[in-house]
Amino acid sequence: MTTTTGVPARAGTDVRNINVSQCVAESLRLEMERDDRVVVFGEDVGLQGGVFGSTRGLQKAFGRDRVRDTPISEMAFTGAAVGLAMEGYRPVVEIMFVDFIGVCLEQVYNAAAKIRYMTGGRVGMPMVIKTAGGCIGSAAQHSQCLWGTFAHLPGLQVVAPSSPYDSKGLMAAAVRSDDPVVFIEHKGLLLQKAGTFTHGAQVPKESYTVPLGQASVVRPGSDLTLVTISATVGESLHAAEELAGEGVDVEVIDLRSVVPLDLDTVCASVARTGRLLVVDEDYLGFGLSGEVVTGVIERLGTRALSQVARHGTPDVPVPAALSLEQAVVPRRASIAQAVRDMGRAS
Amino acid sequence: MDGPTLVARYTEMVRMRRFEEACLEGVPTREIHGELHTGIGQEAVAAGLIGTLRDDDALVSTHRSHLHALAKGVPARPMLAEIYERATGLCGGHGGHMHLFDLERRFSTTGIVGATLPVALGHAWAAQMEGRDSVAVGVTGDGGANTGGFHESLNMAGAWNLPLVVLIENNEWAISVPFTESTSTATLAERAAAYGAWGKRVDGLDVEAVAEAFAEAVAHARAGNGPAVLEATCYRFRGHFEGDLDLYRPAGEKDRRRQEHDPLPLTRARILERGAATEAQLDAAEAAVTAGIAADLAAVRADPMPDPATARDHVFAKGPSA
Repeated sequence: MTTTTGVPARAGTDVRNINVSQCVAESLRLEMERDDRVVVFGEDVGLQGGVFGSTRGLQKAFGRDRVRDTPISEMAFTGAAVGLAMEGYRPVVEIMFVDFIGVCLEQVYNAAAKIRYMTGGRVGMPMVIKTAGGCIGSAAQHSQCLWGTFAHLPGLQVVAPSSPYDSKGLMAAAVRSDDPVVFIEHKGLLLQKAGTFTHGAQVPKESYTVPLGQASVVRPGSDLTLVTISATVGESLHAAEELAGEGVDVEVIDLRSVVPLDLDTVCASVARTGRLLVVDEDYLGFGLSGEVVTGVIERLGTRALSQVARHGTPDVPVPAALSLEQAVVPRRASIAQAVRDMGRAS
Repeated sequence: MDGPTLVARYTEMVRMRRFEEACLEGVPTREIHGELHTGIGQEAVAAGLIGTLRDDDALVSTHRSHLHALAKGVPARPMLAEIYERATGLCGGHGGHMHLFDLERRFSTTGIVGATLPVALGHAWAAQMEGRDSVAVGVTGDGGANTGGFHESLNMAGAWNLPLVVLIENNEWAISVPFTESTSTATLAERAAAYGAWGKRVDGLDVEAVAEAFAEAVAHARAGNGPAVLEATCYRFRGHFEGDLDLYRPAGEKDRRRQEHDPLPLTRARILERGAATEAQLDAAEAAVTAGIAADLAAVRADPMPDPATARDHVFAKGPSA
């Protein structure tokens, strides 16, 4: 078992040009081979192999008992995962889009998240709620990230990978975790080929994990600490390249998980740069960005920071028209602009 | 009929009543916080489960679960300790009266109305996958039967032929909303047909009728014939929770039900009528279980409170959360 060092792998001749959803499927296949208590179910995960292909081939490999298509009954099958966990299984439940979790939030935040606590540690809930989020022009009900929502609820680990390498390794760690994990893939990344990534592009064939709660410095820099997660990691790396040409050296940190939140890595960076920008594709208000900023200030004190800024999706539903979406969702151009604005203000 | 004798069931009903009364004691003294829901008046339903369920069968119950737990064989002492929020409780005081778990006996509860059936479905699915002839019982009330999870779980159990037994305790009231005003059909049992399930309605004041119907429902599911729905009619003697003013039910009706439809005296009268036991024998049996619960309560009251230092424990598997 290897763990990542956080050093970005660059696309090269040794990159297997598979897409992110294949990385997830490969991870699940290896975990299911490793542990026969792992079962996968949800809508369209079996015969079709998932709407993005992230469970492709699993039903063929493991049969209909372990990889099962469910009716459109999230309450029933997510609740069933709670029962299965009590029976000693390690269920991986797919909720097609994170936006749909509203219909079974009860099972997620009142059952899965709390049962370990409510039983005084006697009953564990080793399950993965595997889902897809992110803005890809799909309008208000199919574009949310919601990791801030789940992170706010005690008892849930919340993971959102940014690269092919992390998608495979974090999924393996999520399946092995003895606590529930809300695993939010990004719809905009799932069908992207590894070769198009500027970080974490190399995906070993063998099994490995990326530990939950370990942020990664995907681009070292000395002028400013940019903290983000999921698809905006890649966008931030592009922005950082552009800014490098303008003489600004940005350090980009991929949190990888919201819970656990690796503030140690963030603080170590901010202690050097003195400037913090948090970029979040999720709603800005009462969420990840506020938590990171507050956590850094609590640990380092206000004097350690010469500048703090946030750049996230404002508190509006995601609009339908692409021109409108681009006006509210952080992407490389707006991220670069946010850094320039900080420069002008300093 | 096989299983416990009527006298044994009756004795257990008395024990259940005493258990709930022991819980009632902790409310005015503020030893129990939050909402306490008792099943007083509904003992014949729970006592009807005894003898049919095994340790490998799952039972997922509601906010009004104490009697089901006793019927499943969950020991009274640690359960009472949990309800009294003590360190010695089933969950070390982290759960409380609505969140009782006994993994060994596959017993769990939820405080969320309607949330039992999906969890029971998971237990039923596990049994099917493992080729075990275990069943999973999900308890709900007439109120919970109107939640979406009821439909989803029963449909899935029907579609997948899972050994799910849905026990509906129809006590006619979802807090203050009567069954007749909230439900589209005359009975809930008739919904079974929509899911290809076995369905029956039974008089929940008649412990023998419940036992027989429940055994039938479980046998149906155990034999691999898919889900079963058993609706037991009953009446909640007290308010929805302790402290509920319960002004929505006519006082005269409540009094009449408590006097004329109390399952305990009804069952006792039946035993004497049959000559299955004497007054003296029943008095002795009642005294024994009454003393047992009193001893449990005294012991629980001497138990330590949870250590405040553990308040942040158990959020995750590894150490305190914050």
